[in-house]
Amino acid sequence: MEHAAKTVVITGATSGIGLAAAKELAMKGSYVIGSGRSEERCSSAEQEIKGICPDAKVSFLAADLSSLAEVRRLASDIRETLAKAGYSHLDVLINNAGAVSSWYISTVDGFELQFAVNHLAPFLLTHELLPLLERSQAGTVICTSSGSHYRTRLRWNDIMLRKHYNTLLAYKQTKLANVLFVTELNRRLAASGSDIKAFALDPGLVNTDIGFKGTSGIARMVWRFRSRGGTPPEVPARCMAYLALDPAPRATGKIYWKDCMPKEPSAYSQRPDVAKRLWELSERMCGIVGQGNGREQ
Amino acid sequence: MKSMAFITGATGGLGKAFAVECASRGFDLFLTDICETPLSRLSESLSNTYGINVHYCRCDLTDADSRADLYANVRSGGFLFDFLINVAGLDFEGAFEERTLSQIRTMLRLNIEANLELTHELLKMRDPATTFRIINVSSLAAFYPMPVKAMYSASKRFLLNFSRALGEELRSRNVTVTALCPAGMPTTPECIEAIEAQGFAGKITTCNVGYVASKTIDMALRGKPVYIPGLVNRILRAAGSVVPDSIVARAVGSRWNAARSRRMWRKKAHKAYS
Repeated sequence: MEHAAKTVVITGATSGIGLAAAKELAMKGSYVIGSGRSEERCSSAEQEIKGICPDAKVSFLAADLSSLAEVRRLASDIRETLAKAGYSHLDVLINNAGAVSSWYISTVDGFELQFAVNHLAPFLLTHELLPLLERSQAGTVICTSSGSHYRTRLRWNDIMLRKHYNTLLAYKQTKLANVLFVTELNRRLAASGSDIKAFALDPGLVNTDIGFKGTSGIARMVWRFRSRGGTPPEVPARCMAYLALDPAPRATGKIYWKDCMPKEPSAYSQRPDVAKRLWELSERMCGIVGQGNGREQ
Repeated sequence: MKSMAFITGATGGLGKAFAVECASRGFDLFLTDICETPLSRLSESLSNTYGINVHYCRCDLTDADSRADLYANVRSGGFLFDFLINVAGLDFEGAFEERTLSQIRTMLRLNIEANLELTHELLKMRDPATTFRIINVSSLAAFYPMPVKAMYSASKRFLLNFSRALGEELRSRNVTVTALCPAGMPTTPECIEAIEAQGFAGKITTCNVGYVASKTIDMALRGKPVYIPGLVNRILRAAGSVVPDSIVARAVGSRWNAARSRRMWRKKAHKAYS
């Protein structure tokens, strides 16, 4: 199948699923802008991609997505990078970066680390890049969610689990937040007559090192054991590229995808009241609407 | 009327947890710390998220002039406080002989001098309509003489004794003083590394900061003079109080030395790998 060259942003593109997707998309002729936390890993990922595919069009930008200010800076760096390369639009935004932490760590903005990186960063980055996506023929937003979004709910009285932090519960909640975000984003985009479509990707159990980042002891042991049975990151990367480039998924109206097939997300993740409440809370947290006009615990 | 809390060391791990906890309870905040940028980030975010008023003023608490500027700034705002949370403090871990004179002075100034002065000044700005709650961040280290952390544990002992005495002194004046005595908390990569180097012992004595901050405010509101987070830590404290100090010091010293050498070994091993 022939795809026109597309412009794609992928966060967390220096390892795992993000890197595999960056390779796949670059090889298919897309202009890929990847992001990663460290300059060093960014440049080695860039070299790795150019090693496989010498005429790949690829740029990397370093940003620590746990900070809202850095997310805003990344968005403006992306705008600048695209403009320099002669593009005035963005076709695909892939919010893929994710974090796991064994401990309750609070970010510079006072949010729990996993909540900030896995939910608030995609929320804000999408908000910032929406005008560029609007200018695309077929703007697409993809969030790397997970099957761990099933069988959980949001704890509204302590959404960042400050008081009773548990690594897995916190992680599951953020992945649920991804699906809720995609659901509400699609609803809002459709209501405003936009052509942008948003998808949540379920990568399945993938053999990456996410379970070794910011964790210790038992969590690492479990992950070492579990990830062995997982698929290589190229498998979800293929689905990511499919959602990014192929027009077929857009027509289905399905939002949750695994292995290039639509799948039913959890019933809770489709509740409009929950999605709306999370959206409004996230807007306040990111300082998108005026000064706080309500309170959340 | 809305409550207002004054927090020092507000952008560090525990200080931030206190700021978020107070904000989630709807308190207005006055924050201070040594760097301006993190203060402004945190203030903006808390006010956006919780719809409260947040004021801040940068201050180097080890410097008397900087502290004087801080008091002037707070006074000019005309605030009335009902919480003072003294979090700012530091530790230079390692052999006493290896410390520099400037490190010794810095620790005394921050852990002791600044705490006493702030408490003294803020008492003048308390809200007369309500009970004034002071929280001093001491440490589990306050209960033991601790080799390798000798200065630190002694400075925390100072805060513990001061808090208890001041609490009694001001009991009839509608003021409560709570000394928080936590074990190590996973707030920075260094702390996490130190906790992990202690292995199982580190793990079971460790509590998440969010939990600690929330419980401490509850304890202060109940007027508890001392709060030790974590059951294991309370047991350690109880055990420490029936064993003679000389034996405790010996035991703590050997445990720290073992943990330190494990850490060194780990670092070496890490280097060898990479």
